[in-house]
Amino acid sequence: MSELAEIAERVMEASREAGATDAVAEAIDTAVRQIRFSNSQIDAVNSWSERHLALFVAVGKRVMSSDIRELESAESTAKHLVSLAKSSPPSKSYGGVAKGKQKYRRVTADRKIVDLRDPSKYAWDAIVAAESEGAVNVGGTFYAYHESVGIASTGGANGSDESASVNLSVRAFSQPEASGHAVCCAPRLSGMKAGEAGRKAGELASRAKEPAPGQQGKFDLVIEPLCLGSFVQSTSGMMSALRVEISNSMFINKIGKKVASEDVTFADDPTIDSTSRRSFDHEGVPTRRNVLIQEGVLKTYLHNTSTAKRFRTKTTASAGPLIPTSSSFAAQPIPVHPVLAPGDWTVDELISDTKSGLYINNTWYTRFQNYATGEFSTIPRDAILVIRDGDIVGAAKNIRISDNMMNFWKSIDALSKTSEEVYWWEEAAPPSTLPTVRARQMNITRSA
Amino acid sequence: MIDEGLAETLLDEASKASPILAEVRMESRDNRQISIKSGQVSSIMSAHDAGLNVRIVLTSGIGFASSNVVSKPEGLKLVQHALKQAKNARRKTPVSLSPERPVRTSWEVRQKHPLVDVTTEEKLELLRAIDSAVIKTGVKVQGRYYELKDWETSGYFVNSEGSAIRSFLPRLDIESYNLVSAKGETEQSLRQFASGGGWETKDEWHLEKVLPDEMRMLKRQIEKGKRVKPGKYDLVCGPEVAGIAAHESCGHPMEADRILGREMSQAGKSFVTPEMVGQRVGSEYATVIDDPTVPGTYGYYAYDEEGVKARPRYLYKEGLINEFLQNRETASKFGIQSNGSSRAENYLREPIVRMANTYVAPGDFEQDEIIGSIKEGVVMHSFTEWNIDDKRYNQKYVSREAYFINDGELAGPARKCTLEVTTPGFWGAIDAVSKKIDFVPGECGKGDPMQSMSVTMGGPMVRLRGVTLK
Repeated sequence: MSELAEIAERVMEASREAGATDAVAEAIDTAVRQIRFSNSQIDAVNSWSERHLALFVAVGKRVMSSDIRELESAESTAKHLVSLAKSSPPSKSYGGVAKGKQKYRRVTADRKIVDLRDPSKYAWDAIVAAESEGAVNVGGTFYAYHESVGIASTGGANGSDESASVNLSVRAFSQPEASGHAVCCAPRLSGMKAGEAGRKAGELASRAKEPAPGQQGKFDLVIEPLCLGSFVQSTSGMMSALRVEISNSMFINKIGKKVASEDVTFADDPTIDSTSRRSFDHEGVPTRRNVLIQEGVLKTYLHNTSTAKRFRTKTTASAGPLIPTSSSFAAQPIPVHPVLAPGDWTVDELISDTKSGLYINNTWYTRFQNYATGEFSTIPRDAILVIRDGDIVGAAKNIRISDNMMNFWKSIDALSKTSEEVYWWEEAAPPSTLPTVRARQMNITRSA
Repeated sequence: MIDEGLAETLLDEASKASPILAEVRMESRDNRQISIKSGQVSSIMSAHDAGLNVRIVLTSGIGFASSNVVSKPEGLKLVQHALKQAKNARRKTPVSLSPERPVRTSWEVRQKHPLVDVTTEEKLELLRAIDSAVIKTGVKVQGRYYELKDWETSGYFVNSEGSAIRSFLPRLDIESYNLVSAKGETEQSLRQFASGGGWETKDEWHLEKVLPDEMRMLKRQIEKGKRVKPGKYDLVCGPEVAGIAAHESCGHPMEADRILGREMSQAGKSFVTPEMVGQRVGSEYATVIDDPTVPGTYGYYAYDEEGVKARPRYLYKEGLINEFLQNRETASKFGIQSNGSSRAENYLREPIVRMANTYVAPGDFEQDEIIGSIKEGVVMHSFTEWNIDDKRYNQKYVSREAYFINDGELAGPARKCTLEVTTPGFWGAIDAVSKKIDFVPGECGKGDPMQSMSVTMGGPMVRLRGVTLK
C-alpha cells in the first residue's frame, strides 16, 4: 500500500470510528513545473506543489466534505468533520458510495517526467521550429505534471495511482492578425514532440497570412481536433447527470434519442494511455470506457453512485472531485478523457471534398444562450482558411460560429482516420482524443 | 495564524542571491460552501487552506514557487526552486521592475456580521427561502440549484525592498441556476450575487424578490416576446450590459501584459498597441474606470499582490485611450510606475495583471429621459450568451431581458435581441449616459493555469445611436 493510500485509509477509519456511515478519503500529491513563453522568449518559470486530502463523510443522509491541507492533523480534522455532519441538515437525495472490493489496473508513471528538472529546452525547441516555418512571434506554455493519489472508502475501495504527463501549447504569429496554434500532449517524455508542434503552428500561421474579413452565411466547416476540443468540453460536461438534473444540459430526456449524426460515436475513456488516464474515479470505482453516443444515439449520462441511484441505473465510474472546483459542482460526475471515434477520411480529402467552407484551427469563448436548447456561439481564432472548390484559397478573420450545439453534432458527415490528443488551457479541456471532422452548413456571423 | 517570522526568514534567504526583487507571500483561508437542489441539501463543504509562495526576480528571468506545506524546510526548498527557475529563464531582454515605495501597513475589510459566525442552518434557511419564493411565483422553473460560498483570506506579504503588508478580506457569493419553461420553450437564468464583506451584505441583494421577479420576467419573455427585425436601431444598454462591455472591450484590451503579448497564447493579445494612448476609441461619453477601492465590492482590495497601493484607473477617458492596467514589470517597460493591478487567485498562482471593479462613468441623464428620447429602439437590461475575440475587438451580447421602445415608451418584450459589434462601434455610438449606476459581480478568467478572479462590472444606462441589432 502506498503512503498516500495508508493516509487515506487512516482518515477513512477515523471518520468511521467517529460515526460516519459512509466516508471517502482521497489523498493527493501534485507537483507541477511550468514554462511560460511569449514574444519568442521565456517569461516565467513556475512550479507548485500541493499535498492534501479530500474527504467526504456521511452520517446517514447528512453529508459533509472538506479539503484537508494539513495532513498531520487529518485524522482529528476528519473527526471534527463527522461531528459537523451529524448536526447538518440531511441531503435526502444522497444515494451512498460504491460498495465492494475493487481491483485497479496498475500503470507506472514515466520517471523521466517526474525527474525532469529543466524543461526550458522544449519551449526553445517549439520557438525555433515555429520560426523556421515563418513565424515572427511565438508564445505558449509547457507543463510537466506528476500526481500521486491514494484512496480509501467505507465501501471497500482502497488503492493508489500515479500519473505523469507533459503538454505543450504553442501559438505562432506570422503577422499581427495571422496565427496558428498547435499542441502536443503525452504521458511519456519521449512523446513530447515540441519541434513538430512548433512547426505546425508556424506553418498554419504562414498559411493564415493576409486574412480578409470573413463572410456571413452557411458554410461547411472542417474542424481540427484543437477546435473540436472546445466543443467536446461543452458537450461532455452537459452529459453529467447532475447537469441534467439541474436543467443545465441539452441532453435532458434524450437517452435513446438521436443527438448526433450516425457517424458520431463518442465515449469517455479514462483507461486509455493519455495525459488524463485514471485508474479509479473519485469514489474509488475502477474507471472504464463508457460509450455515451453510439452512432448518433445517446446511450447514457455520466454517473456517480448517488446520481445513478436517482436515475435508477449503475454508476459509470465518473464520480468527480469530492469538493467543488472552479469547473465542477460538488458531487458532480465528470468526463475524464472524451474520445470521438475516427472515420475513414484523410484531412486532405476532407478539404478537397468541400465546395464552400472554412478550415478552423482553434476557437475560444464558447458560450450558450441556453444550455437546455444548445444555442451557442464561439469565436474561431488562429488559422481560419477559406476552402473553395476543394482548395484552400486564402485566410479569413473576424467571424463567429453562431449555431446550435446539437445541430453541430448532427451536421457532422465526415471524420478523419487520424486522431490526436488535445488539451489547451481551459478551452480544450479535459484532454480528449479527437479526429478532424466536417460539419455541414454551419451558421457564420460577424460584427455589423 | 500566519507565521510571519517564517516569511521574514525565507525573505532573508531569498535576498542572499542579491536579486532585483524577492517576495514571500503567505496566506490562510477558510472556505465554506453549501448548495441546494430542488429545495434539498446537495452538498456542504468546510475547509481550511494555508500556504506560501516565493517569487524571485533576476535580470535573467522571474522564478515563482509555491506550496501548501507551510514549514521552514519546504519554504527553503521554494527559495531554491524560484532562484533556479529565474536563472534558467535566460531572457533575451533583461527583466526590470518599476521603482515603488516600500510599504509597511495592514488593511482589512470589516464585517458587521462576520461570515465565520453564520451557521449552516442560517445559510440553508436563506437558500430555502429564495427557492420557496421562486416556487410561489407559479412559474414553471426547473433546475432550482442554489450555491452559497463564503471565505475569509488572511495574507502577509514581504519583499526585499522593505514592504510588509498584512491583509484580511472576507467574501460572500451566492449563485443560482434556473430554467424557466412556458409554451414548450425555455429561458435560462444563471445569476451571481457577491461582495467583499460580511453576511450583512446579502441584505442589499433582496434575493427573495429579485429572483422571483426574474422568473416572471423570463416567462413573459417567452410568452410575449417578439424577435427584433434585423436593422439599425437606437439601443439602451442597462448597467449589466454596459458593465460587461466595460469589462470585455475596455478592461481586457487595456491590460498592459496583454498589450505586450504575455498572454498571446492563452487569453490573447489586444487591438490596443502601446503607442495608442490618446487615440480615440469612443465618443466623449465613453469614460471607463477600473477601481479596486470601491468599498464592499467583490473586486475590492487595498494593496495589490506586489504591495502597490490600489487606486482608480481611468482606462478610456472621454472616448480616448488613457491608462493601461499595469504591474511592476509592465510599468517598467512603459517607463512609468505600477497602478496596482497585480492580482493572484491564491498563493499557489503567480500574480498577473487583472481588473477589479470596471464600470462606465455616470453622466447627467435620468433613466426615463434616456428611454423617453428614443423614437424606435430597444432597451437591453441584461444578457445571456456573450463573447469577444482574443484581440477584444468583435463582441456579441444576446439579451436575457429586453423591451422594444416606441415613441419614447416601453413596448413589449424583445426576445433574444442580438448586438454583434466592434469595440469602436460600441463605444463610439454612445451619446447619453445616466446618473444612476449599478454593479454586478463576475468571475474573470485569465492566466495559465486559469486564475478565476473576483470582479465586478457595471455602469449607468447608456444610449447607443444607430447600431445594428439582429
